[in-house]
Amino acid sequence: MRFARYIARRLLLLPVQLLLVSLIVFFLVRQMPGEPTFLYTGPFATKERVEEVRRQLGLDQPIHVQYARYIERVVRGDFGMSLRTSQPVMTDVRQRLPATMELILYAVVFSVLIGVPLGVYTAIRKRGLINRAVFLYGMLAGALPDFWFALIAIFLFFFHLGLLPGPIGRIDLMVSTPETITGMYTVDALMTANWAALLSSASHLFLPVLTLVFIYMPLVLKNARSAMEDMLGSEFVVYARAAGLPRIMQWRYALRNAMPPVITVTGILAWFLLGGAVLVETVFAWGGLGQYAVQSVVNSDYAALQGVVLLSAVFTMLVFLVVDLAYFVVDPRIK
Amino acid sequence: MSESAPATSPARVALATVAPEPRTGGWHAFARFVGRRPAFLAGLVIVGLTVFLAAVGPYIGPYPTETALPGDPLQPPSLRHPFGTDVSNMDIFSRVIAAPRIDLTIALVSTGIAFVFGVLLGVISGFFGGERGLARYASEGIMRAADIVQAFPVFIFALALVGFRGPGAVNVIAALAFLNIPFFLRITRGAVLQVRERPFIEAARCAGNSEWRIAFFHVLPNALTPPVANISPTIGFSILLTSGLSFVGAGVPVPTPEWGSMIAIGAPNMMTGQWWTALFPGIALGVSILGYALVGDGLKEFLDPTKRV
Repeated sequence: MRFARYIARRLLLLPVQLLLVSLIVFFLVRQMPGEPTFLYTGPFATKERVEEVRRQLGLDQPIHVQYARYIERVVRGDFGMSLRTSQPVMTDVRQRLPATMELILYAVVFSVLIGVPLGVYTAIRKRGLINRAVFLYGMLAGALPDFWFALIAIFLFFFHLGLLPGPIGRIDLMVSTPETITGMYTVDALMTANWAALLSSASHLFLPVLTLVFIYMPLVLKNARSAMEDMLGSEFVVYARAAGLPRIMQWRYALRNAMPPVITVTGILAWFLLGGAVLVETVFAWGGLGQYAVQSVVNSDYAALQGVVLLSAVFTMLVFLVVDLAYFVVDPRIK
Repeated sequence: MSESAPATSPARVALATVAPEPRTGGWHAFARFVGRRPAFLAGLVIVGLTVFLAAVGPYIGPYPTETALPGDPLQPPSLRHPFGTDVSNMDIFSRVIAAPRIDLTIALVSTGIAFVFGVLLGVISGFFGGERGLARYASEGIMRAADIVQAFPVFIFALALVGFRGPGAVNVIAALAFLNIPFFLRITRGAVLQVRERPFIEAARCAGNSEWRIAFFHVLPNALTPPVANISPTIGFSILLTSGLSFVGAGVPVPTPEWGSMIAIGAPNMMTGQWWTALFPGIALGVSILGYALVGDGLKEFLDPTKRV
């Protein structure tokens, strides 16, 4: 019952948040220096032509009317035309989103699969070589730029060892892309039993995912460690120990209760990765949303940039909504 | 991170068992504190080095920092060029040590602006939070605004800010300052919420101070420790963001020596085996960020006496 009410309240809050986010983006675009109509008319347009375009774009209206019209368009999913690709921004985004999602999905999955056990292990065994190594790694990874790590990985695995493909996108040029179902190549290849495409896209995924996991996994690791440490020192685990339960049972109790903070940090990780993916995608010519954002900045493609920024905020809010809902599943106390 | 290395350090065990901390002047206490923590000392050395290079780096390198040298490009590291040369035959070593000038300036100025605004807004939102009337709405409004700014993925928002305002150092500073304000705001607010419940605040109120005076002359100075301890890591983070923006061409324009743009210049050469072009600027970047993080950890411990043994 309270669960349903909570979800209802969160869902009601979402449009309000989205409205505020759109307000920020709206004013962000107005930071642009110079006369925006020149983007459409060229710098040598006559005064009359500039006035005409201003009227067409609605720039002659007062600011609140402009905002209302902008919201009206955004709600319909109309983010305008990209000046660079001459396509609606929404179409561009839809084509590129799966590439980014694939990258983030694998990075999150592997960060959790490696980070949580490592964090739990270092919380249980407080001494020893592994603990020291993990501590040093955690400190180092936070200081390394992801785009630099990606370049070093390319030098080692592509140029020096020749084990993996170079930074030329998501799949080999000679391999045809799998039939589009989800748009994620590895998933689509698996679903259509296209092994050549699966192998090729997996090998292309390896280095970007390695980079993201190496740089951002410590976030999960440190969180899992401190949550596990807290739980191991908590009263119910002390009680379990006093009651003579085997250690494996004590750890299981602690682990179950250490999960909520780990879930939160997984959400934060996805949020971080969306930003991190921008740089890594650029290095690997990934062709996803991140690279699209960079290209739109470099080419002054403002409609595209505006769309990406707004959608990335929407993505963030949905991630945190899912995180809050996941709490109910793992933590029965909230019910 | 500092909490996770407790009684294992022999120096600390010795200290706890042998001698209580003698109470003398601040600087002596600080020097003793640093002497017992090699990581903190290393961080301070790195920070000192970056500040030194920011001041004189562009003048002490063996070669000019923004002009191509005669001869073949892409020379590997040698005695003449310790870090090699890049694709337009600029000396990488001279450029690496000149880069803190721009990187550190951007990070320091943006962090400074974010600190001032973040602390002021944090005091207002923390001190007047939960009150009635206008002040409460101001407090709530500040927090919701911070929520919204933080709803955007950091790098994408920075990219967009610079994208709409155009590349260049000033716009990078503006973007980073704006992004870091909510961070300092939250930290300060957390501290203020605790300080405002302490008895001396009640005493100040009884003595007839106005609410605003209490907020800024009594609460603020006592809530500064957490935000101050976070200045250093924020500088490191800002350096990282600046270099990222420059890497994609949305930050400091070439040929200004800047670590991120140097890595970008070297990126195509990494695929063809000229590893020195991107390796050295990246190491400089990583070491600097690590240094600022270590100083932040050390300061946090030093400024919070409850964490000291």
